[in-house]
Amino acid sequence: MTATLTSKRFSARDDADAVDMAFDRGWSDGLPIVPPTEARVRAMLEGAKLDPSRQIGFVRDRAVSITAEKVAINAVMAGCRPEYLPVVVAAVEGIADPRWSYHGPGTSTGGAAVLMIVNGPIARELDINAGDNLFGPGWRANLTIGRAVRLVMRNVCGSLPGLLDRGTLGHPGKLSYVIAENEAESPWTPLHVERGFRPEQSAVTVIASDGPHQFYNQLSPTAEGVLTTCADDMRISGNVMGQSTYVVCLAGEHMETIARDGWDKKRMRQFLFEHTHNSHAHLKRTGRMAGEVAPGDDTRMRSLVASPDDILVVAAGGRAGAFSCYIPGWGSAKNSQAVTKEIKR
Amino acid sequence: MIEILDPTTEAATQTIAFAPRPSGLTGKRVALIENTKFNSDRLLERIGDILKAEHGVAEWKMYRKHNASVPAHAEIIEEVKQSADVMVAGVGD
Repeated sequence: MTATLTSKRFSARDDADAVDMAFDRGWSDGLPIVPPTEARVRAMLEGAKLDPSRQIGFVRDRAVSITAEKVAINAVMAGCRPEYLPVVVAAVEGIADPRWSYHGPGTSTGGAAVLMIVNGPIARELDINAGDNLFGPGWRANLTIGRAVRLVMRNVCGSLPGLLDRGTLGHPGKLSYVIAENEAESPWTPLHVERGFRPEQSAVTVIASDGPHQFYNQLSPTAEGVLTTCADDMRISGNVMGQSTYVVCLAGEHMETIARDGWDKKRMRQFLFEHTHNSHAHLKRTGRMAGEVAPGDDTRMRSLVASPDDILVVAAGGRAGAFSCYIPGWGSAKNSQAVTKEIKR
Repeated sequence: MIEILDPTTEAATQTIAFAPRPSGLTGKRVALIENTKFNSDRLLERIGDILKAEHGVAEWKMYRKHNASVPAHAEIIEEVKQSADVMVAGVGD
């Protein structure tokens, strides 16, 4: 590939000096970066066979065009291997999709991160972790792919903390928040297939998300028992009034228990939907819904999400331990939707 | 020495035409762009009333966005262009 790289160039004495330069110029997320030399950036672009001038996404609300060259530079800085670039590119396409609605989750005081769930053969080829220590640390692909997306948001889209990223608290997932679904051991239809792709395709789903909330059930030998605990934990979480998207990650032990009872993802979604309603009275008493408690509010119910389809179920997490987790989405499903993009190689 | 590439957006130069700023508010029609957040309508109503009472504004009309995360939609912008001289828009939490 001989296409010209058009980015401005800066001179540094050596790699260490370039690392300091990245901090000084505000290009880093707070961790040292790999200096983006032309040779490294070209090797990165080769990983996805991309022309540097190709537009990967256009963030309408910011009037920002994201080119392959900028994605590759930030992927080098994040520590990605070139073969990771197609995943980064697909995730960037996802957050630039109008349905994800970049400006809201990218800026909001709600402090959303970009949860990226990778499905299909590429997850195993790149060793994207779907098991022990699901949310890290320990896997280069998980930590650098998500970091690359965040650096693109920071350096290309202007999502700088305190300026156009106004998260009140943020959370550690804003450094990197990448998991794969454990398709090798899961008895269920993979997430990307539920969302319209073929099993042999690879895809990434991006969801504006809060941090993972772990729940514990070591007692129940049934699907209903495990999911009752999950629903009870979920019922008051995240932006309860917003009716956002939820992700439920079922780890090994819970996955086996639920599968043994023959429940599929659709049945789980329906059960969780039905068991996470809150009464208007409770929402009003706890400062979530506006207004005084009125007669009938104790039996007038509001669902946590607008539809069972707003609960995305994935099989992921370690084999040992009676833990699983749910992840509240940001805002509301109306403000930002989960988007799935094919990973093209 | 090594050379590294700039990871940030280098904005292309472009010229944007702004509507001329009015010299005063007397007799002007004001559009209030409401972002759907709780109480934002009440705050804007108060701003509209103050503009009428203290700054001679002729009238105000409120427009509601689809939600707080998106820009005002095309219908709002088209109507405001026709029916207002001045617009108040803001985001608050």
